[in-house]
Amino acid sequence: MMTQTRNDHEECWLQLPWLATGRLSPGERAAAEEHVRGCTACAAELERQRLVCAALREPERVTHAPGPSFRKLLERIDAAGAAPAPEPVPDLGAHRAARTRRLRPAAAWRPPGLAWAATFVFALGVGMLAPTFYRWSQPAYSTYTRAAPAPAGVLHIAFERSLAVGDVEQLLRAAGARIVEGPDRNGIFGVAPAEESTDAGAITPRMRALAARLGSDARVRWLQPLPATAAEPGADRTAAPH
Amino acid sequence: MTETYRGAAAVAHETQLIARIAEGDRRAFEELYTLYHRRMARFLTRLTRRYELAEEVINDTFWVVWRKAGDFRGDSQPSTWILGIAYRKARSAFRSAARLAERDLETATEALTSEAPANSEELRDWLGQALQQLPVEQRMAVELCYELGYSCEEIGTIMDCPPNTVKTRLFHARAKLQKLLPQLATPQADIARENQQS
Repeated sequence: MMTQTRNDHEECWLQLPWLATGRLSPGERAAAEEHVRGCTACAAELERQRLVCAALREPERVTHAPGPSFRKLLERIDAAGAAPAPEPVPDLGAHRAARTRRLRPAAAWRPPGLAWAATFVFALGVGMLAPTFYRWSQPAYSTYTRAAPAPAGVLHIAFERSLAVGDVEQLLRAAGARIVEGPDRNGIFGVAPAEESTDAGAITPRMRALAARLGSDARVRWLQPLPATAAEPGADRTAAPH
Repeated sequence: MTETYRGAAAVAHETQLIARIAEGDRRAFEELYTLYHRRMARFLTRLTRRYELAEEVINDTFWVVWRKAGDFRGDSQPSTWILGIAYRKARSAFRSAARLAERDLETATEALTSEAPANSEELRDWLGQALQQLPVEQRMAVELCYELGYSCEEIGTIMDCPPNTVKTRLFHARAKLQKLLPQLATPQADIARENQQS
């Protein structure tokens, strides 16, 4: 065995995270492993590093759906690309000349073909701007109740904005739910009972029970009401918004 | 230390995607976004503890990717280029939101818990809380090393600092985590065994 020096120990100690993750070069790895075999402190630290590594690499409990975020980004890109060009500075000289021409009918005459073309371009412009005017006429906010209806077996829910990830996980675990969609642009998630397939189709009693549990939690800002059935009168009360 | 964490085929594919994005190809953009969303959402959510802030950082990052794809010359791996942008965006977002103040490492901090973790899931939860106590540079170094598996040099490229700085940040982070989680100083044999089995 080679003689270990203090420098070897310090260098090895700094490299232990990458020895644990397998990201050292073959030469560095061989040297570090040689040191670890003869150093109880580094051997114990390597064990700790492996423990931390395994804990941080465990499979996720929450699945993040990229779709809504990506659509939001595309809207941002489109908005930047479709930004209106700066308004032209009014040409006062031309304005005065036109006014003068209006006072002289002979000078104001234009060929009919040009007038038709101008009218056509104007109409085309109005037609293209109509959707924009319509969008402007719509409210600049959206409400939870305007969200798309949830697919069968999925319950739409919005949490308090300030709720930490850990609290959301704890809340869902306690209620027996798992996230299957979202969040969308309004922060709405789709959840389903933890032990039930989302393609179950109908609204099951387990789903109603889940809605009741989530609806009673003050940290839930909004929960999509479930339609009441004849067999379960008043079931939608469980989903009253807070 | 090794330089090739992601396979050559994956690197070539991502480089090709970036070239297509530079030409305005939105399908390529969506594919690259989807590839990175999952891994970025995971570590950014753990860093920020806020879904909306993680999402904001991801979209700010890919906003830059969309606009600057033409500037990518392949000098570094696509993943280190993208995560480098993400790191700068995350640091800026954390600071502007005042959600993460730089903390003095010398400040004595009490352990988060005196109990031994019942399982590796509980240990991960505690680690998540302990990471919140670290400065953003150390926190990023931990995530990039342990979770995403980057080498010391790659982390240096992402964080725009020398490899020795990366080692120092991780050294301090490890010391701080052991102070916050004394259990790490005496790891439970059963947890280690459980992790080996899984």
